[in-house]
Amino acid sequence: MPNGIPHIGDDAVLVGVGELAITEYPKTLVTQALGSCVGLTLWDPIRRAGGMAHIMLPTRGDTAAEGLRYRFAASAVPALVDMLADAGSPKRRLVAKLAGGAAMFGADSGGASIGARNVAQTKLELAEMGIPLRAEDTGGGHARTIELHMDTGILLVRSYVFGLREI
Amino acid sequence: MNIEQLSAMQLDALQETGSIGAGHAATALSQLVGHGVAIDVPTLEVVAIGAVPHVFGGPETLVGAVYMRLLGDLGGSMLFVAPRSSSLALVDLMRNRAVGTAKSFGADEEALVTHVAQILVSAYLAAVGRLADLNILPSRPSFALDMAGAILEAVTTEIGMKAEAAVLQRTRFYDDETSVDAYLFFLPDPDSLEVLLGRLGVV
Repeated sequence: MPNGIPHIGDDAVLVGVGELAITEYPKTLVTQALGSCVGLTLWDPIRRAGGMAHIMLPTRGDTAAEGLRYRFAASAVPALVDMLADAGSPKRRLVAKLAGGAAMFGADSGGASIGARNVAQTKLELAEMGIPLRAEDTGGGHARTIELHMDTGILLVRSYVFGLREI
Repeated sequence: MNIEQLSAMQLDALQETGSIGAGHAATALSQLVGHGVAIDVPTLEVVAIGAVPHVFGGPETLVGAVYMRLLGDLGGSMLFVAPRSSSLALVDLMRNRAVGTAKSFGADEEALVTHVAQILVSAYLAAVGRLADLNILPSRPSFALDMAGAILEAVTTEIGMKAEAAVLQRTRFYDDETSVDAYLFFLPDPDSLEVLLGRLGVV
């Protein structure tokens, strides 16, 4: 493959679907194969630490069980901010980056708008908390794997379509 | 319904339904490619939403996939998935050329794989519909060539709104001689699963 996806390093903390994680340098945070899901990263340049959320859906319906709350942008974003604050990274130092929110099957699938709604809801949550969005690589119709580096705050976005991008 | 609590009898009934659907789909595929295609006994899996991206190789495995929603009496999804090389082998078989001729995906190749998937899905759903006396139609298909994890995730996102896990039935179609190795996933919505079980008489 010309755009082969490189091996994920041993220092990577993998964030699963609908999960949150925080870590600090020299570890990195990775989440794989974002489709309509959104990968949100928050980075604290002072502590060289950060967090990542793999968000599936914008808001929680009435029927969702309590254990599923990190799947939803509306509850995952505040929870990630709290986790970082508890670890010593206050909200005022955090900067955000976003990737994902694609429509994997174009406009034909019922889930076509979920990606866009995930991005919109995540941005709304960030705005409400006053966290600046530094960069994003969202939308389109392709899958993305992302990796956040704690020393630089660089977010690597890998895909079969575009290879490696830095945002 | 709580899909983690399906009884052994319900699982058996779904398994049997899947086998019949898969049998019809395999016959259709053999006729289409002019070559015998074998199937494995379909497996029925209850997979935690978080584990869904891992059910087809790794999350980043490059696959050709065709997605259709279910319309009519059942809601849910049908997903055709084949590794990139196997998708290209299907293209060659459809064009009656030696396997290995097609090297990359263009609009024609996508259309051919989509066509194959559509016929597999139609045969599968017709058989399940007859068995359960349900009217099930596939929506217009859409094609993607990308990471398996993202494709599976996109298909199960809606289920993740309410449920902890998804029920998926997986059938493997293969032929060693022609390198065909393709999979069909049947993913009924939790509510529709209840309808299907009711029609099969195993509530």
